[in-house]
Amino acid sequence: MSAPSPVAPGPGGAGTGARGGAGGYRVTYPGVLRSEWSKLWSLRSTWYSLAAVVVLAVGLGVAVGATFTDGGGDGPQDPVEVTLLGLNFGLLILPVLGILTTAGEWSTGMVRSTMAAVPRRLPVLWAKAAVFGAVSFVLMLATALATFPLAQAFLADTPIAAGLGDPGVARALLTTAVGAALIAVLGVAVGALLRSTPASIGAFVGVLMVVPNVAPLLPYGWVEDAVAYTPLAAMQPLAAAHPAPDLPGVGAALVSMAVWTAAGLAAAALRLRRSDV
Amino acid sequence: MTIEVRGLTKRYGEKTAVDDLTFTVRPGTVTGFLGPNGAGKSTTMRLIVGLDAPTSGSVTVNGRHYARHPAPLAEVGTLLEARSVHTGRSAYKHLLALALTHGIPRGRVAEVIEAVGLAGAARKRAGGFSLGMGQRLGIAAALLADPAAVVLDEPVNGLDPEGVRWIRTLLKELAAQGRTVFVSSHLMSEMALTAERLVIVGRGRLLADTTVAEFVRSAGHDEVSVTSPEAGRLRELLAGPGVEVASDAPGVLRVRGVGAEDIGLTAAAHGVPLFELTPHRVSLEEAFMELTRDAVEYHAHGAGRPAEVAA
Ligand SMILES: Nc1ncnc2c1ncn2[C@@H]1O[C@H](COP(=O)(O)OP(=O)(O)O)[C@@H](O)[C@H]1O
Ligand SMILES: [Mg+2]
Repeated sequence: MSAPSPVAPGPGGAGTGARGGAGGYRVTYPGVLRSEWSKLWSLRSTWYSLAAVVVLAVGLGVAVGATFTDGGGDGPQDPVEVTLLGLNFGLLILPVLGILTTAGEWSTGMVRSTMAAVPRRLPVLWAKAAVFGAVSFVLMLATALATFPLAQAFLADTPIAAGLGDPGVARALLTTAVGAALIAVLGVAVGALLRSTPASIGAFVGVLMVVPNVAPLLPYGWVEDAVAYTPLAAMQPLAAAHPAPDLPGVGAALVSMAVWTAAGLAAAALRLRRSDV
Repeated sequence: MTIEVRGLTKRYGEKTAVDDLTFTVRPGTVTGFLGPNGAGKSTTMRLIVGLDAPTSGSVTVNGRHYARHPAPLAEVGTLLEARSVHTGRSAYKHLLALALTHGIPRGRVAEVIEAVGLAGAARKRAGGFSLGMGQRLGIAAALLADPAAVVLDEPVNGLDPEGVRWIRTLLKELAAQGRTVFVSSHLMSEMALTAERLVIVGRGRLLADTTVAEFVRSAGHDEVSVTSPEAGRLRELLAGPGVEVASDAPGVLRVRGVGAEDIGLTAAAHGVPLFELTPHRVSLEEAFMELTRDAVEYHAHGAGRPAEVAA
């Protein structure tokens, strides 16, 4: 490496105290949002994961559409649920990627740089949640809007044929994207709370996938009712044009998911404020 | 812009990493933060920028807690000891992410990359960087917002001799520009070359708050090595205010506070035979070792000064 010269003062102006920024420098919410946006897209794992979400959703949607036979009652019989089956992969990949955006900061040590730049800390959490939530929402909505007509092209003469204008369809596509974004942000929160990628993925799989499957074996009716309101279970009514009547209503499902995500963020915020980085 | 540390204490469970530290770091000079490993230097630096919260006491930069400043990076630029970079991100994107939080223009990012000599590697993933390149990236991050103060934790770690020289020049130049420069090291020799002021710590406690010149002066007093078959008696004869007598081996004394001439005269006056009377100066490194001897966490057996035995 060649001998670099020491650094000349930049536009900030040294020793001025930079109160409010002699060079106009200042930490702002838009700045922190831009930073988190840049951080998200400057990692290859983001591109790979999001590409996988789209490919799996579209691919599975087309495959299911092409091979659909009206075989009677056991499979899903909802025009949106069937065509968007592949979007379920997104419900796993997105929260894991969300976990990486936060827990990954601790595993690499990046968090020390991040929190030295934004020592109030909470704006970082909100920005990560906002950026990743928005990206997840847009990606899932776009993927749903692309997958649905593609898969439906194969289903013209079946009982689950439907168009975007049919009752419940547009709403189901929209609530799928909203629900997926909420689960993605829950991942962001869990990663910031536990600060470890394996622990966060373990907690996510355990609490949201294993427990809801095992708990209903308990001989209490209310447990089964409660499980329907855990985030992944609550996705069911959101992803159907005509949700089964025994499921929570769309509004109730959305509210319960929002509560889970808000609770996760609140816990993460508390830990972020209280403990050393 | 000053960094004021007041009664700063940090405990991790039972372990007290920083113990009631009080000192001030002033602008315009390089202040060395010196202490053996485990003395609490890195912890103090994390406390300065609020990554860790003090158990008690406080630290302010430019009169306020670091986090209360509208542009913290423009107040204090920090190079921490532990790696603080996402391994999957390029050097440029890493610095850009920090710059965006403060509204620092992209041009400034390119400028600091150039200044630390990373231009050729700016688009490469930081995970593949050598220790030296990692240090340069950390220094680029510290300089990014053109800060009024820099806090650098063992910046010469992992740098080649040319890099070490560059750091020394950089630190002096930053100080000459009127900035506050606070830099840690566990090597007295390194600090003697770069620092003007010294804050010396051991086991989390303040051992000295001085200048290098003053430290050299106080450390530089002569020590006289005396060998005599009546060392015990000579020791008693020499005893007095300001006189320190130590012994490494039977019959051998190390005397401070009295010159060789006076020792010889005293010995002659009392008929004490002398086999050896050798004055020598204590090196800076020895003086530092002496000061921190009781504060070193783990003594390497056989290394450093031998244990004292009675004369
Ligand atoms: N996060 C931590 N948890 C527990 N102990 C710590 C932590 N950080 C530092 N220590 C302990 O505090 C002491 C001071 O460490 P450190 O500040 O790294 O010293 P230095 O930088 O001077 O070598 C050491 O004994 C170290 O083991
Ligand atoms: Mg250290």
